[in-house]
Amino acid sequence: MPSAVAGLNVPANFESALAALDANVLGAQERRDLLARSFELHSGRERPGRFWKIDLENLDYSALTVATAAAPVIQAPQARGLIACDLATAARQHRELFVRAFRTAMRERESKFGALASALCNTGAFVYVPADVAVDGAIEIAYNADDGALFPYTLVLLERGAQCVVVERVSGGTGAFVCGAAEVVSSENSSVTYASEQRLPENARVLFTRIARPGKDANVQWAVAELGAQLSVASVDVLVDERGVEAHINALFFPREDQHVDLVSTVEHNAGDSHSQTLVKSAATGRGQARYLGNIRIAKHAQATESALRDDALLLSKRAHIDSVPALEIAANDVKAYHGATVGALDDEQIFYMTSRGIARDDAEKMIALGFFEPVIQRFPTEALRQRLRDALEEKVSA
Amino acid sequence: MSQGLKINDLRVSVAGNNILKGIDLTVERGRVHALMGPNGSGKSTLAFSLTGHPNYQIQSGSATLDGQDLLELAPDKRAKAGLFLSFQYPAAIPGVKVANFLYAARQSVHPGDLTPAKFRALLMEKLEALDMDPGFLGRYLNDGFSGGEKKRLEMLQLAVLAPKYAILDETDSGLDVDALRAVGDSVNGMRRSEEGKDTGFLIITHYPRILQHVKPDVVHVLIDGRIVKEGDAELAHRIEREGYDTLREEIGQLA
Repeated sequence: MPSAVAGLNVPANFESALAALDANVLGAQERRDLLARSFELHSGRERPGRFWKIDLENLDYSALTVATAAAPVIQAPQARGLIACDLATAARQHRELFVRAFRTAMRERESKFGALASALCNTGAFVYVPADVAVDGAIEIAYNADDGALFPYTLVLLERGAQCVVVERVSGGTGAFVCGAAEVVSSENSSVTYASEQRLPENARVLFTRIARPGKDANVQWAVAELGAQLSVASVDVLVDERGVEAHINALFFPREDQHVDLVSTVEHNAGDSHSQTLVKSAATGRGQARYLGNIRIAKHAQATESALRDDALLLSKRAHIDSVPALEIAANDVKAYHGATVGALDDEQIFYMTSRGIARDDAEKMIALGFFEPVIQRFPTEALRQRLRDALEEKVSA
Repeated sequence: MSQGLKINDLRVSVAGNNILKGIDLTVERGRVHALMGPNGSGKSTLAFSLTGHPNYQIQSGSATLDGQDLLELAPDKRAKAGLFLSFQYPAAIPGVKVANFLYAARQSVHPGDLTPAKFRALLMEKLEALDMDPGFLGRYLNDGFSGGEKKRLEMLQLAVLAPKYAILDETDSGLDVDALRAVGDSVNGMRRSEEGKDTGFLIITHYPRILQHVKPDVVHVLIDGRIVKEGDAELAHRIEREGYDTLREEIGQLA
């Protein structure tokens, strides 16, 4: 069979891996097409320049080895009819539900790294919450990229009136490579919070494409913490195709040393009477580099939309750099849209105030920097996760 | 060792402008000093210079706290030495809870003297004395606080930190009568307490209103970067009646 990806920088064992990767999830030919598509697409991401040092259009995957990876560790509370299993099991045993949701929100043919994640998907998780079931407690999904490259795909499907909280954790060994996707498809009046905690070692690379498509009057919340990895490329999207949606995107990141973070969030309002709120807090230290692009798009017929975007960036060293770009495209006339962005160093008056109370300057700076993140930390689910984030941030501030 | 917060011939500039032109003033333990003066006379400059704000350049002179040279210390070390400033415009610090901040400050100034439980008890006692809602403790530091709430929080910090010397910079400005009385009550309450009976106060004010609630032992008048007159509480009353202009004329005639 002719390969569409011959001559490209694909993992060396790609052709032989195809046979082993789960065909129930995605067939070999479709995987091949998606991989070729990924190489065709431009990422639209930050380009190498004075600050940013990585060329995302020409990442070399040839050194990667792709194999079927271990299923994630999934811990789910007891709830009537709840399914929380690995993706391959779902593709076999819950075929109808799987097909109803899989790649219905993800626009993988339009996203360079979404296409890559789908093409090479070698592990994943599936969560299904039946109608009117409120899952009490978080569903925890832990991916571990210890061996080889990990391409996890998390699929969440909520029926009418269902409620759940998903906490995804991504960790791994030194030099790990992770390219994943998360897709949330929800029905009328449902409510879902999806949190992600990325804590890979600081020489890892991670690329994540996340998208949610909520149903009518549904509530969907993303809470994404990009803390680890040398390179972290993330997109977090909400597609508002139904009316009455409440959508929140919350994110934090904190590159230090040579870490690079490129985050794009997009809320696409294609139906009216909806609210969206985007809140992003970031800091950088050392030679940490980051770019955040916050898109809000309101289509012409999406009247009575209310949308707010706020992002604040804190620079803790002279060589750290954060580019922050809110981008609003509004075609409707009866909407309320707010955006605000700040980039700055720690405030001298705040430091002086705290030190005048006897608090040492280093401690004052730490407290102020941690306090800076607190409003977004508050939007993450579970106290355990919030505390882990505070601890991780404190470690970064102290280093 | 020489007791008192002693300021000798202190000259200070801000952004190249000479603001304080040789201040001599001593605040004594257990006494209330009022520093009065019109706007722009240098009152806040004195407060910030003593506490070590980086924008204020000391040109010459000295300031000692019970014999310890203040001017060579970083701001946190000055607080540890026993100096406290109640800010006219305290900074808001989102994300830092009042309770955590107060605990960190108390631990810094009086390391390890209270267990967390005892600290909590102290906090509750001081809150009640100041008629403040315990809900304050869970709020972010000065974030979204009204002017009156900010001043009350400054008074709470004063009570919790129990400094040797407290400078109150225009703590009365922008307060209504009730809030003013509350500030007066907290200073008087502190002076009656075991921890605060020896605290020396320097109350900086433009208007003498606060001095109706806290009776000063000594009044210093600062005009154009110099202490031009000193007296007892009667001097404050005179300024209230006549304003600063007659005082200016009088000094002009003397000069």
